[in-house]
Amino acid sequence: MNEEIYSKLVDLYVDEELTEELGQMLEARAMNDPALSHDMYTLRKTLEALRSTDDARLTEESSQRILMKLRTSGAQVEQNSPDPAHLQYQLPIRG
Amino acid sequence: MDRTPSLMSSSSQDESLAEKRWLNALAKGDPNALGGLYEIYGDKIFRYTYRMLGNRADAEDATAETFLRVLRRSSDLRADGAFKTWIFRIARNLCIDKMRQHKLLELPQDTHYSGVEERAALKITVQQALSDLQIEYREPLILCDLENISAKEAAEMLAISVPALKSRLYRGRRALRDKLGGSLEKMT
Repeated sequence: MNEEIYSKLVDLYVDEELTEELGQMLEARAMNDPALSHDMYTLRKTLEALRSTDDARLTEESSQRILMKLRTSGAQVEQNSPDPAHLQYQLPIRG
Repeated sequence: MDRTPSLMSSSSQDESLAEKRWLNALAKGDPNALGGLYEIYGDKIFRYTYRMLGNRADAEDATAETFLRVLRRSSDLRADGAFKTWIFRIARNLCIDKMRQHKLLELPQDTHYSGVEERAALKITVQQALSDLQIEYREPLILCDLENISAKEAAEMLAISVPALKSRLYRGRRALRDKLGGSLEKMT
């Protein structure tokens, strides 16, 4: 098999889409092929790095700002879940 | 890399039923409907726009605008399962518009330092590398690898074939790896 085919197999291997037999064949081949082994290892690490460092999440504060934008634009948005505790009460501010 | 299970999980079935209910309600002018759809898709759309745009303020704007467009076009909606693709396409178009504005204005992206220093450094490196990727490679990574959307759905959202989607996804991963370079070696 040529390099291009191995490259495609590695892509499928990373996505766990190879059959067990093909996966084992690729792993066996990688034992004696440093370039192939490096390709498999670094692609997996790349995905791991991508997923483990992702911090995109909708915070309560962001959600409140989005809902505010919607309301100020004239949309009726009823929240079905209650406001978080820190938004339910207003503490008196005294100077 | 199609992660669609052969049988829908009960939570996705519930979500699908709720989506249909809220879409029907929206078409009838129910004031609770947009809030219901926001509960299902608000988080997903925000995460997508945040990853695309790289900063929270723009992602909040794009998310709000996405739902406003849903509301404005509610008469065109059909509860036929295509809503997810449709709403992501709206969000995508808004992101592309904002990215064009960013190019003109050179707005900075958020950088967050938190946790252990090396971890924070890796996070910034990965975020920077992702944002440096060409959009045609970045989008499949965001949709498939971060948002866990199936290849079929992601291909529909991007209006390309599944093989084209997969080709971009695989190339994108390799391009990201090349950009990360030595940073990968430091990962434990």
